[in-house]
Parts: sequence; C-alpha cells; structure tokens
Amino acid sequence: MEEKLTREELLHVANLARIKLTEEEIEKYRVQLRKLLDDVEKINEVKGYDDDILIACWDNNTELRPDTEGEMLDPKQVIENAPHHAGNYIEVPVVIGESEGA
Amino acid sequence: MSNYIPTIGVEVHVELKTKTKIFSNARNGYGQMANSLTNVVDLGYPGTLPTLNEEVINLAIRAATVLNCKIRREMFFDRKNYFYPDNPKNYQITQSRTPIGYDGYVEIEVNGEKKKIEIEEMHIEEDTCKSAHRGTRTLLDFNRAGVPLIEIVTKPCIASSTEAKLYLEKLKELLFYCDISDCKMEEGSMRADANVSIRKNESDPFNTKAEIKNIGSISNVGLSIEKEIERQAKLYDAGETFKPQTRRFDDKLQDTVLMRVKETGNDYRYFPEPDIPFVVLTDEMIEEAKKGIPMLPDERRKVYVEKGVLETNANKLVQNRPLSDFFNTLLEEDTDFKIASNMLLGDISAYLNREEKELSETTLTKERFLELVKAYAEGTITSKNLKDMLDTILESDKSIAEIMKEQGIENITDDSEIRGVIQEIIKNNPESVSDFKNGHDRALKFLMGQVMKETKGKANPRLANEILLEELKG
Repeated sequence: MEEKLTREELLHVANLARIKLTEEEIEKYRVQLRKLLDDVEKINEVKGYDDDILIACWDNNTELRPDTEGEMLDPKQVIENAPHHAGNYIEVPVVIGESEGA
Repeated sequence: MSNYIPTIGVEVHVELKTKTKIFSNARNGYGQMANSLTNVVDLGYPGTLPTLNEEVINLAIRAATVLNCKIRREMFFDRKNYFYPDNPKNYQITQSRTPIGYDGYVEIEVNGEKKKIEIEEMHIEEDTCKSAHRGTRTLLDFNRAGVPLIEIVTKPCIASSTEAKLYLEKLKELLFYCDISDCKMEEGSMRADANVSIRKNESDPFNTKAEIKNIGSISNVGLSIEKEIERQAKLYDAGETFKPQTRRFDDKLQDTVLMRVKETGNDYRYFPEPDIPFVVLTDEMIEEAKKGIPMLPDERRKVYVEKGVLETNANKLVQNRPLSDFFNTLLEEDTDFKIASNMLLGDISAYLNREEKELSETTLTKERFLELVKAYAEGTITSKNLKDMLDTILESDKSIAEIMKEQGIENITDDSEIRGVIQEIIKNNPESVSDFKNGHDRALKFLMGQVMKETKGKANPRLANEILLEELKG
C-alpha cells in the first residue's frame, strides 16, 4: 500500500466535495486520507464477506407507510429558510455543466 | 455516408401515480404553486427520516410484472451522492445494487415481426426538485422533490429509431393502462434518455456512446437518435473520434447539442441507505399488486378482432381507454361488436368531443347501449335516426324504444310495404333501370335515394337495398 494518495486522486476527491485546498492541505490530506481508506479496507478482511449478503444496521424490516396525505409546509416557511428567493421559488447561483440527478 | 450498425439503449423515468411522495406524506401533485407541496423531508432538513410509501412498492411490483421482469424479494436502497442544488440532501435515494425488477422484456412488432426489447433492470428512486435557469441564477421548486419514480433500463438491444419509438409507445400504453403513471411526456411524468453508438460490423466491439438526455416526446426520441447516428457516422467517415458525452435534444434546432463531455466516469459513491431498513416482499404483497392489472392492450386488440371488430377500430378503441373499458363490459354479451365499435368510435365519440365530455359523464349504460346496437342491427333505426336520437340517448335515462316513440321514429320493416314502393319506383324510372343493367352503379344509388325519399327515410336501408336488387335483377 502506498503511503500517500496521488495528488490527482486527492484533487479528484476535493473536487467532488467542492472544496478548495491549499498546497499545504493537499500534502497533509494525501497522508490522512490514505490512512482512512486503509482502515476502511480492513472490512474486506472479515471472513465470509460476500457481496450478495444484505447487511443492515438492525434486524427489523421496513415498515411501509400508508399512502395518505399529511401536513405540508406553507411556501412562506419554505422560502424563509433559504438565503435568497424569487417569489415562491428558492434562488441559488446557477450551476451548469454539472451532474444532475434522476 | 457509409453504413453503420447502430446500438441503442433507452432509459425511461416514470413518475408513479401515488397520492403522496415516496419518502414523505406530502402530496404528489403537478401544476401547483411553487414550493406548496413540500414538507421537511422533501427539503432535506437535518434530522428528518424517510418513510417508504407502500403504494410505491405496490405500483413497482405491478410495473415489474407487466414488463415481464423477475421480482426481487429482498432489497435495500442506496445513496447516490452528488452536489447539485436540485437535491439539498446531496444524495438521491435510489436502488443501485438491488433493483426491484430485472431481466424483463417488452414485445414490439417491427415490420410484421415480433421482437423482444430486453429490460436490464427496473428500480425505484425519488425525483429531484425542478430547477429553472435564469441568467446567473437558478430557481428551485421542490414540489417535484420526492415524487416516486421508476427507472426502466433496456439492454443495448435496440437497432433503430423506429424500434426505440415502438418500444416507448408500448411501454407508455402498458404503464398507463395499469394506472402506474399518467405517462405525460409533455408534463415530464415520463422522460426518456437514449444511449447511441455505431459500429461498422456486428463483430466489432462497441464504439464510444453518446447519451441524449431528457427528450420530451416519443417522436423526438426517434429524431434525436437519427441525428446522432448521422453525426457519429460523419465523424467516423472523416477519420475522427469523439469522447463519451451527454447531449440534449434542442427543439428549435431539431438536433442534438453537446451538454458536457464525460472526462471521468461518474463518481456517485453509492452506499446502502442506512435510514431505510430492508424491504422484504411477501407473496401476499405480490398477489395484491397483480390484482390491479387489468386486461392489457395487446390482449384487448386480440379479443376485439376475434369478436369481429375491424383491426383499425380495435386499435382506436385501445387508444381511448374509457371507450375500451366500456367496450370490455360488453364482451360477455351476445351483440354485434362491429356495429358497437363503429357507434362508439363514430357518433358517440363525435358527441363526446363536441361536448368535451367523458363517456362516464353521459347517461349511457351497458343495457341501453345494447338496446341501441340491437335496434340498429335489426334495422329498426337508421344511421340518420341514430344521429337524431343521440343527444337524448346520452343525456336522459329513457329507453331506446321510448325515445323512438317520442321522436316519431317508426321505420318500415315490413317486406311487402317496401317492395310495393320499390316496384312503383322501378316502373317510373326506366332510364335508371337500364343504366343499372348497363353496369352503372350510380343508378343503384339514385334508385335507393328515391326509395328513401318516398318512404321519408323510414325504410330499413338494408332490407330496401336487398329488395331493390332482387327486383332489378328479377
């Protein structure tokens, strides 16, 4: 195992997290993140680990919710919690060319 | 341009017709005031937890069944991580490793030959909020955030734009008939992406693909695939290559345009959603979901044609679900299905269009409709009578016999009375008779017109026609 992440690997993760790093931080995190990843890798050493086995935090299965409507927020409350709004819309700086969900 | 073999895969997102959202009890609705259909879960407020809507599971099982998928009995959800303002949690809850349905197919007919479009998998996920870009700002409406979706992914087995369109039409029809979704592409409740690549020979490995996102109509899916094939072929012909990329269809240009080049693979860092325990489907849940499946469109077409309905009419009936559902209630009856289908698609549809009504908003019942079809089949009413009576038939509860009596419709079905009139007409129109004998068909129409005129339209047309021919030939 390498002692550090490559510079490219670290910058890729920083980009995904949308954080800007100084040169000093880059060097520091290359070591720290490598160590974190190595710790996580230890899970793979568990005997009998199989990708097909479902592992959950607890044994109970999901309780499904009936399809009946409950209380909703007033649009005023929704925009109150946003730094900017235009009418009833929440307003944010434009981000184009990034991945969009769904 | 040289010939290339296209390889196409289609991904479809369909919004499910539930009352509430997938993980919250806020209303699932469309066309409402911005940010009026949300609660703290949809907005991703800290400390909120998702609760899975049982109707989503129900509809997803139903969809998996009609798409001939295998149904997974135990599953979990995954977090798909990404930063974008359309999702304030910074992850979308989806199914990546355990999709509810897999290995299915939809059968289409291409140039008279049946082909199975194979479905790789079908999974459940939440929709994101709707964003609209205005200059340097983006406006967000969270009414759509958390609306339940199923995503249906085909294998790269589609060979042409025609096949892609046929597949989408079939898919739309199936999901619509099973009340799984409205499938309104114009409102975004059904959205399609197409993956397109081309190669010279079947034996060549697949070439670079381009993904065309969020295409707004089935015909545009076809068009964008054709344009994309053309674009790639020109590049290869010129000895050029291109990088994997995402494109969109531009309505104004009627062409695809580049959105972004995929420099690196998507890095969504999927991991199992810890806030939702496993979902385990029981036999009862699966059986219950299947009960919601009505007679499917292909089956309907087949049964209608077997009952004597013309193929074009069978298709038209299936395209109009309320009429088709009404027609299905007649299937066990002894009636003339051809006349019944003509009436529903002809005069009755014309009335519904004119009055902007649904069939269920009229007073027509199965019993009265059967009475009407019988009267027409026996010739006691003519097509003109039908037109005259129709408004009353559809707006009152009176029996057909009563309406006929009220409107003085009393058709001559007496053989000898009609024959008498016809003999008289033949005697008075020797020219037309000789025209007919010389093969002029128009003469027959003229003579029939005379019969109707003489009887004031009350002669049973079929009977009159038969007798007229008999008399002319005799």
